[in-house]
Amino acid sequence: MKLPILPLILVVASAPFLTSCCATGRKQPAASAAVCGGSDGKSVKAAEGDLNEYSATSVADPLEPLNRATFWINDGLYTVILRPITKGYEFVIPKPVRTGIHNVFENVRFPVRFVNDTLQGNFKRAGYETGKFFVNSIAGVGGIGRPSDHIPALADVPEGDTGQTFAKWGIGHGIYIVLPVLGPSSLRDTVGIAGDYVLNPVNWVSFVYGGYAWTIAIPSTNSLRVTHEQLGVYDSATKSSLDKYLAIRSAYIQHRQEVAKK
Amino acid sequence: MNLRLLLLASLILLHGTASASTAEAERRLQNAVNEVLAIADVSSSNNALIESLRPILLKHLSFDAMTRRAVGPGWRQFTEDQQKAAIRLFTTLIVRTYSSKFTPGEHAVIKFNAASAPAPGRVEVPTTLVYQGSHYSVTYRMEEAEGWRVTDVVIEGVSLVANYRAQFDAEFKKGGANAVVGALTQSVDHPK
Repeated sequence: MKLPILPLILVVASAPFLTSCCATGRKQPAASAAVCGGSDGKSVKAAEGDLNEYSATSVADPLEPLNRATFWINDGLYTVILRPITKGYEFVIPKPVRTGIHNVFENVRFPVRFVNDTLQGNFKRAGYETGKFFVNSIAGVGGIGRPSDHIPALADVPEGDTGQTFAKWGIGHGIYIVLPVLGPSSLRDTVGIAGDYVLNPVNWVSFVYGGYAWTIAIPSTNSLRVTHEQLGVYDSATKSSLDKYLAIRSAYIQHRQEVAKK
Repeated sequence: MNLRLLLLASLILLHGTASASTAEAERRLQNAVNEVLAIADVSSSNNALIESLRPILLKHLSFDAMTRRAVGPGWRQFTEDQQKAAIRLFTTLIVRTYSSKFTPGEHAVIKFNAASAPAPGRVEVPTTLVYQGSHYSVTYRMEEAEGWRVTDVVIEGVSLVANYRAQFDAEFKKGGANAVVGALTQSVDHPK
């Protein structure tokens, strides 16, 4: 019963460091800068051509040396340990079964999305999530199938998470943090990950039935599935980069910004 | 009365040309995507795919604008030769990255969503890509210059140009244009 307290402590302890959203926002392309950037956006554009279309800085990174060290340890870890393990997972479990496992875990994660949609005041989306959960649990046999994909209103419901809720409340990233094993994050999103962890039923079993082997097996299978998917994203984001660390940092911050808009 | 009619007529005309250009951009993008998919579907190896996709991408993507914007204001300090080298290397890198996203035998399905025009001469076409069972949101930013060309691809909110902008900026601060071209050469010669 100790672990659920950890996220709470994290929330309280880090609250003073979380700054407002505007400080770390990515510069808008010139086309939309006119809308939100104020009066000088246009004159700058006229003088400099299109060279200021994109901005280089995306997030405060005062811990860069430490982050880079963690990043390279993670990178090594992926290559030496996680990639062989996920290759094994890919080899042992055929694709249709992997898809089924993926669907079940995503379906069970329903409270993460429902609670955050509600916290964001987005009751319409919380309703869609509930509909999706029941359709997939019943017609999809415990969430193995995704019949909701064939219902237009339920096919593309943007997913809620705790970091996104904080963003909607106006809380900025604070600083960029590379977490051991888990990879890119920020102060805000690290607290968000803790929230998601508590809200995910997959992690509840070990607290309720702690001590049995199968209670470890379920979250482990989930981790394996997530790792398998994330390594694919990591590889395609770093493959043609000049600097893997900067490529991932930029991609992460841009992606989270997009998620916060949904 | 006449003036009002004229105003109304010009408004309708303006609106007409704006949506006509959006439609034109969309049509152009759809052609490009179909051309790419037709090749990707029959290609057996990745190297063959790179070779056959290159001319198509050169036709539909504005690599000059992409390179310039990815470098940012430092571009003005590039000599003409350095600019040419940067564009050439960046093109190779993008073509290679793009081609590597296709796995032989896997068919991609692309759904086009309603396009918008954020500014005159600019169109954004959001699409949904279904590939290997996963859904991705991919938005194409297009501009009109000698026909409609793609100037950026935004996958799940991650802009290709902005991603390189962050990396080029660090190189430029280290050692100017030479460092940027050097890092590009390194990346093209030694794929990770």
